[in-house]
Amino acid sequence: MTATFTVQPHGTQTGVIFVHGDLTGAAEADLMQAFSQAVDAGAKNLVLDFSDMPFMNSTGIGLLVTLLVRANRTGIRLAACGLSTHYREIFMLTRLEEAFQIFSNVEEALAAA
Amino acid sequence: MTDHRKRAEPASQADENHEYQMIGEFDLPGEPGNDRLAMEKVAQVLAPLRLEKQRLDRLKTAVAEATLNALEHGSRYQHEVPVTIRVRVSQKRIAVEVTNFGDTDIPLDPELPDLEAKMAGEQKPRGWGFFLIQHLVDEVHITNQPARHTIELFVNRQS
Repeated sequence: MTATFTVQPHGTQTGVIFVHGDLTGAAEADLMQAFSQAVDAGAKNLVLDFSDMPFMNSTGIGLLVTLLVRANRTGIRLAACGLSTHYREIFMLTRLEEAFQIFSNVEEALAAA
Repeated sequence: MTDHRKRAEPASQADENHEYQMIGEFDLPGEPGNDRLAMEKVAQVLAPLRLEKQRLDRLKTAVAEATLNALEHGSRYQHEVPVTIRVRVSQKRIAVEVTNFGDTDIPLDPELPDLEAKMAGEQKPRGWGFFLIQHLVDEVHITNQPARHTIELFVNRQS
């Protein structure tokens, strides 16, 4: 199932994007819409929660790169949480772990935001 | 026929004394999403072997990426141009072959993906597939024949 996204604001400057389902290139429009929704609501810090993401392929990784580019251009800090051990390894291999702040869960990420 | 051996260490020599046994073979139509289906079906075939989770997760992702490449560049998502997957095991290794019968000159991410270059717009955001395959399995063989392209993934059953 291609991912859907839920955006939840926390305070005035932080938002969480919950990823539900498989992250592939097919989710591009929906993810970018979620990003815009969070930024329009005032978020300067965005947390992506991957705890409900069972599968991500290389097109999904490409999508995260596109998101990083957009975030850099707009001065948004990105964090990631809820990654399984395997996708944590994928983040390490691709060096996404250097571009996202990584947290175990959304509570930790919000506490650091 | 061209045979490009990635990570050309003599690992396959260790296999010369081991007979491989075919434990699964299936075709998937050239449809979007079948990279994930391929991964799940290979995992089902391998379930009786009780691989350690990390080893299985790595192989599953490599199978998905090899299949995605075959779907995108080989069958070009034509339903009637399938991807064939064969799973073989020896005492020490698992071999998964992903074969497509469409275009055989499949590009394999010619440049090494670099996150900084991608973020600077010097590389396209995508192009991670073959990089992941190389890092997630123990050995990769690629064979191009007329109208047939195969990528074979090898993993050791134990570390």
